[in-house]
Amino acid sequence: MATSSLSAAQRSKIRRLAVPKEQSPEDAGGELNIIPFLDIIVNILIFVLATVAITFTATIETTPPSAGGKGPRIVSESKSLNLTLFITNDGISIKAAGGSIAPGCDGIGPGITIPAKGRDADGQPVLDYVAVTKCAKKLKDSSPDFKDETQIRMTASNNISYRKLIDTIDAVRATEDGQELFQDVLFAVPR
Amino acid sequence: MTPPAAAQQKKPGVAQYKAELRKAIRRNATDPEIDFLNITAMLDMMTIILVFLLKNMASTSASIPQSKDLTLPASILQSEPHQEGVAIIVTKSQILVGDNPNPVVVLPSRESLAQSGLDAIYKKSGINDLHIVPLAESLLHVREMDKRIRIAKGLDPSSSEAIVIVDETTPYRLLIEVLYTLGASSFGKYHLMVMSTKKQPHER
Repeated sequence: MATSSLSAAQRSKIRRLAVPKEQSPEDAGGELNIIPFLDIIVNILIFVLATVAITFTATIETTPPSAGGKGPRIVSESKSLNLTLFITNDGISIKAAGGSIAPGCDGIGPGITIPAKGRDADGQPVLDYVAVTKCAKKLKDSSPDFKDETQIRMTASNNISYRKLIDTIDAVRATEDGQELFQDVLFAVPR
Repeated sequence: MTPPAAAQQKKPGVAQYKAELRKAIRRNATDPEIDFLNITAMLDMMTIILVFLLKNMASTSASIPQSKDLTLPASILQSEPHQEGVAIIVTKSQILVGDNPNPVVVLPSRESLAQSGLDAIYKKSGINDLHIVPLAESLLHVREMDKRIRIAKGLDPSSSEAIVIVDETTPYRLLIEVLYTLGASSFGKYHLMVMSTKKQPHER
């Protein structure tokens, strides 16, 4: 055997030198070690995602408010409904071109069209938005002339909160089954 | 033994030793074992996502800080929010214009606002007036800047747009006063900001 001609010291040295060296991951490519940096970034990412409450917002387009019935209303050539909603502490009063809508949304007559269902903890009226939507739909469907009318004027008592106003705008915007009613809102100054 | 003869005998010994060493190294050589998970590529991706998210959130309306002082009303509206315009923020306690952190008006109590809006000291001609003077003064400067921006962008400079961010408890009277003052300050179009939800009418 060829090995037998080597001395014991040489064989020992061969065994020692032949053992493969273990490479650490850092030595593998000889690159900059950015893993700790990336670990920090991942932690920040998770923190940001967990803490930031993503809110989806939308905007309602409108123009400057009008006072005393004057305003930027677009007058259509055909017969128009010219709806005006007045949110009061007693409920919602709806006024059309022909006059005030009677309670129950049934014909012309005096009184609050859709009375409030009570008062909430903040002293604001509890409004019947389902009835508002039904009434707006009924009025819009009452004549084919009103089919293309999308404008509605809105006003409220001084103390009515912005939330009630937005909820009322939503109620007249469309029906639950998606039929578009009055999408364009104009604000008016209460007299 | 003569020295050249000894050298002749030693030379094959060294060559043999080197050959044996090479053989042993080859024999023991193994492919480097990957005993750690390489997540660098994934982390690179995460970094890109983080930068994208931070940049995106900073420029969108999602960055509007909602707190006890400012809560947006919920709406079924699902349209994209309008981003162009001067931000007018009406919180429970103050009115802010644009990026200026100093309040234009510090608001009194809700009860007082619900009765007749802001105090007469803020109005041009008494408590019944809708024109808020400090707000109008602040808007004057903002309008000038916005006018120049609109000219540079090739937009119509005759009127500006405002993004109106109002707390949900704000009384209608104050809202109208703010909108009226905006109108008087050559702001012709408003975007009232709301929070998009999928609520139904009976849930309001």
